[in-house]
Amino acid sequence: MIEIKKIKKSFGRSEVLKGIDLKIQKGEVIVVIGSSGSGKSTLLRCINLLEIPDNGQIIINGENIMDKNADIQKIRKNVGMVFQNFNLFPQKNVIENMIYAPLRTKKNSRNEIEQKSRDLLKRVGLSDKEKSYPSSLSGGQKQRIAIARALAMEPEVLLFDEPTSALDPEMVKEVLEVIRELATTNITMIIVTHEMGFAKEVADRICFIDQGVITEDSSSKDFFENQKTIRAKEFLEKVL
Amino acid sequence: MKKDEKKSLTIKMAISLVLMLIIDCSLNNCQSLGLKLEFERIFPFYKIFINGIINTFKITGLSFIFGSIFGILIAIIKVSKFKILKLLARFYTSVFRGTPLLVQVFLIYFATPQIFNCDISSYNAAVIAFSFNSAAYISEILRGGIESIDRGQTEAAIALGVSRENAMLDIVFPQAIKNVLPALVNETIALLKESSLVSTIGMIDMMRAAQIAMNSTYLAFEPFLIVAILYYVLVMFFTFIASLLERRLKKSDRN
Repeated sequence: MIEIKKIKKSFGRSEVLKGIDLKIQKGEVIVVIGSSGSGKSTLLRCINLLEIPDNGQIIINGENIMDKNADIQKIRKNVGMVFQNFNLFPQKNVIENMIYAPLRTKKNSRNEIEQKSRDLLKRVGLSDKEKSYPSSLSGGQKQRIAIARALAMEPEVLLFDEPTSALDPEMVKEVLEVIRELATTNITMIIVTHEMGFAKEVADRICFIDQGVITEDSSSKDFFENQKTIRAKEFLEKVL
Repeated sequence: MKKDEKKSLTIKMAISLVLMLIIDCSLNNCQSLGLKLEFERIFPFYKIFINGIINTFKITGLSFIFGSIFGILIAIIKVSKFKILKLLARFYTSVFRGTPLLVQVFLIYFATPQIFNCDISSYNAAVIAFSFNSAAYISEILRGGIESIDRGQTEAAIALGVSRENAMLDIVFPQAIKNVLPALVNETIALLKESSLVSTIGMIDMMRAAQIAMNSTYLAFEPFLIVAILYYVLVMFFTFIASLLERRLKKSDRN
């Protein structure tokens, strides 16, 4: 479903991605791990073109999204993203946050969109917060709303950029619970995280990035039991 | 709550003191202050003063509206990716901020007719000069406001499939306006006060009305005191409206 071929990305002089290749099947859950500065977030941001790779190809559903004529907006509708800092819109309440993008970009009626959003709120367990403003929510609640907001666009792919890194420890669980539930559905997910226990449990495959290159790409079980590279071993020793 | 009450009490006391002074001055010509003032000789000019208030309002209002529209445009250019337009916008701002407003007014009123061989009314010249001038300041205020909004807001919107333009207009712009509202109020107040410069090109604004009264009565203190109070009251009125607006916009910040 997603095919990444030899993408490279530099910021100024530092080359962050040095030729990444990755194939992802529909419905797969990929967890990307690696030390900070290794390029995991950049890779994720390239997949919905928040960063434009310098060269290489990204093919989603047979379409090269880096093609000049590609409809980036249409692609982004299909590839949702959850950010480390939630990025909820502070001037809109919860339900307004959720219906904003569907109203802007889809043809469905307002009622339909609102109903769908309410169903999603229920799914993340925050039905009672419909009219609340983001400033009155806890970090965990904000991130659950952000996930629900991304889901309101009904994407086939969902990207998670360190979704629990900005949370207080006691709120990590409620967010992971939501992601765990999503992992059982047919949605394709790419997750950048430092929660190793969660990665082990939820991932179909683990990709270990080191200095801009994917050095290991194996099933969750294989990765945690038997790392092929010394860097991955060292990394796991540090974080586990 | 208590602090607010204290504050409003202080304001009430100040206002009543000023009112008492005014009443005393106008009825007894400030004899209680040991001054001999003749406000009653200014009163026959009330029509000119009213005319002046209207003109001051018109120039300030129109300049703010045109200045805002133009300022928004320039601000958007400044945060856009068009290099040449950006350069032009920056040049525009530096010119209008780098020269005195009075010079700009004179350039438009006296110099343009000479070049283009046309007549321009003092009213039009004033509105044009003030609009261009406030557009420069407003665009800088807005640019700062837009750039102060976290990039994540735009990213979140475009990651949801919304266009960059819509993300800017729907998400970033309202937050930016809220943040820069105090600065915009300052700009309006500055504009209101600077509009007194139009008296130099023959427009009858509040300032000019006072000058007319002075010229025919040979009294200076009374007309200029009146005009100072008028400006002050107008500025306070704007401040009050702005604080109402600010409170409304802060709605989403409350828990």
